[in-house]
Amino acid sequence: MLTIENLRASVEGKEILNGISLEVQAGEVHAVMGPNGSGKSTLANVLAGRDEYEVTGGTVRFKGQDLLDLEPEIRAREGLFLAFQYPVEIPGVSNVHMLKAALNTLRKHRGEEELDAVSFLRLVKEKAALVGMKQEFLYRSVNQGFSGGEKKRNEILQMSLFEPSLSVLDETDSGLDIDALKIVAEGVNSLRSPDRAMLVVTHYQRLLEYIVPDYVHVLAHGRIIRSGGKELAHELEDRGYGWIEQHARTA
Amino acid sequence: MNLKTVDTAGSNSMHAQPDTHPDPQVRPYLDIHEQGREALPGERVEWHANWRHGCLQRFADQGFPTLRDEEWRYTSVRPILSKRFAPAEDSGLMPDSSAYRIEGIAHTLVFVDGIMQGPAAPLGMDAGIRVDSISRVLENDPERIRPYLGKSAEERAHGFSLMNNALYRDGVLVEIGQGVRSDAPLELLFVSRTDAALILPRILIVARNNSVARIVERHVSETGTSSLTSGVGELYLEPGAHLDYHLVESQSDSAFQVSGNWAYLSRDSRLDFHTTTVGGALVRNDLVIDMQEPGAQCNLMGAYCLSGRQHVDNFTTVVHSAPHCSSNEHYKGVLDRRSRAVFHGRIRVAPDAQQTDAQQANNTLLLSPDAEIDTKPQLEIYANDVKCSHGATIGNLDEQAMFYLKSRGIDGDKARLMLIRAFVDEVLEAVGPDSVQQHVKALMDSKLSRLPISTKSG
Repeated sequence: MLTIENLRASVEGKEILNGISLEVQAGEVHAVMGPNGSGKSTLANVLAGRDEYEVTGGTVRFKGQDLLDLEPEIRAREGLFLAFQYPVEIPGVSNVHMLKAALNTLRKHRGEEELDAVSFLRLVKEKAALVGMKQEFLYRSVNQGFSGGEKKRNEILQMSLFEPSLSVLDETDSGLDIDALKIVAEGVNSLRSPDRAMLVVTHYQRLLEYIVPDYVHVLAHGRIIRSGGKELAHELEDRGYGWIEQHARTA
Repeated sequence: MNLKTVDTAGSNSMHAQPDTHPDPQVRPYLDIHEQGREALPGERVEWHANWRHGCLQRFADQGFPTLRDEEWRYTSVRPILSKRFAPAEDSGLMPDSSAYRIEGIAHTLVFVDGIMQGPAAPLGMDAGIRVDSISRVLENDPERIRPYLGKSAEERAHGFSLMNNALYRDGVLVEIGQGVRSDAPLELLFVSRTDAALILPRILIVARNNSVARIVERHVSETGTSSLTSGVGELYLEPGAHLDYHLVESQSDSAFQVSGNWAYLSRDSRLDFHTTTVGGALVRNDLVIDMQEPGAQCNLMGAYCLSGRQHVDNFTTVVHSAPHCSSNEHYKGVLDRRSRAVFHGRIRVAPDAQQTDAQQANNTLLLSPDAEIDTKPQLEIYANDVKCSHGATIGNLDEQAMFYLKSRGIDGDKARLMLIRAFVDEVLEAVGPDSVQQHVKALMDSKLSRLPISTKSG
């Protein structure tokens, strides 16, 4: 599904990703962990195509295509979804309007029929209930005046509505209380299937108790310094990032 | 209400002398008066004739405004003066009004090149609303409008409004009866048909005590005609009256429009005045609101979307003459290419107008580095117990929001339109009648879909 080879990227001339290689197969959930400033969010944003990040080397293939060659909207239509760490507030654009425009664009691209207002509303209300979002949030401006938790629920709502083949969750757990965290995790788990994959970027092991990953990668200084199974997350939790960095340096 | 009989400024013996007038830009219009004065309405009504001639004299004296006039600093009328406009012959043909019909508006009065077509009173109108042609009223019962007509000439009159006073040929009087409450908008549709036509709309609205009514003043062009519309509207709101007024300017991009509306608000009356501008090469909208008695309130909302080399100047003056009045003003503009907008917000709070609440905001979205907005608040506060605020913002499209929408699969152009519409919607959503709101939104969408949008990104 996703093959990253020796990916390098910089922001404002400063190199953040120092050669990342990662292979994600359909059906797998990968967790990317690391301390602040390790490049986790940069990786997520480069995959989504944010243009403040300059790719300086390497390749990314997504479902057989050169991902880096595609505009952000094309990446989304091809099935890539980024759940933002800081979802953007868009005053004046109603959430439901944005969701419908996006979903129908995606459906059209997949060769599916666009949904009319009635069927769309039925679907979006069902999904909103699933992520515990009050219906009034559908009619507000996108993310405007939403609390941190409500913004994250809105991201997961979009994910479950769009049914992407690859979901990249950028620190979706940060700022969430345990109840919200469980709801987010349920939303993610309900989407797990043999033909979908997820890349869960997180600082804490906590989320991974609810979204159990198949693989865990530890990022430091823009490189993956260690990969392993879900036990690696527990080990990190017990011993801290200092341990693994030290371990990497001496290795 | 503080109403005086219009001063009989000047007299019949005063004649501007067109042949010898030194200003070549004014002379043709003086000629129009000289040649057509017999046909002008109200010439046999002494007070009216005197007033007209007084205005003609003032027009001859002061001519058209120039950039040296403080109130016209950012708007040059040279493109108007370089052309020659004259009243069009009345072709007697009704335009195909179905082409301009707004769904949901049942009562429309059509004016072609400024001349009212057909009977004045649209069928099925609320019986409490009297609609008459001003020329007819001047013939039959001139005293009925004597307290109202021409009061606007007393102050803040510029060459264009004086020219309307001196030369107007027809107009409409709408009198909303005491206590009448009408939700159905009455539309005054001005169709410009003849190229180079001089169109001089004259609108007089009298909203009696505790009446509620909605008026739409709409300007369209039949084909890409380049006409000059120089209109004057006078709006009188008696105690407790509520008038919802919509000025919709969607004429051709080569049309010129100078529109002046003067409103006089008495005790506890309320005026909602919405201006939507998408058409016109050069448009100047003067709006003067005088809140003369306590408890009056006004909401002035404006939305404009410009491209090419369009120039739109909204010059607003809100006068708080009495205590306990509130005014709220919000204008939002979207400017593309080399278009230019001017917003001037003058607020005057008289010495005894305590407990005044006056808010003003002008927000601009610049889509091109070549577009320009000149925004100027002008607060003159002579009372000490007032709440006044004003703010202006100028910005570009939010790149973070653009990326967010694109990351959801939404096409860049569509995302851009969504954000621009969201920006102006704040003002458009405040448009009261659904029919009018749908119409101004459709106008905005149509304009936006035609924008080349110079700052392509992503």
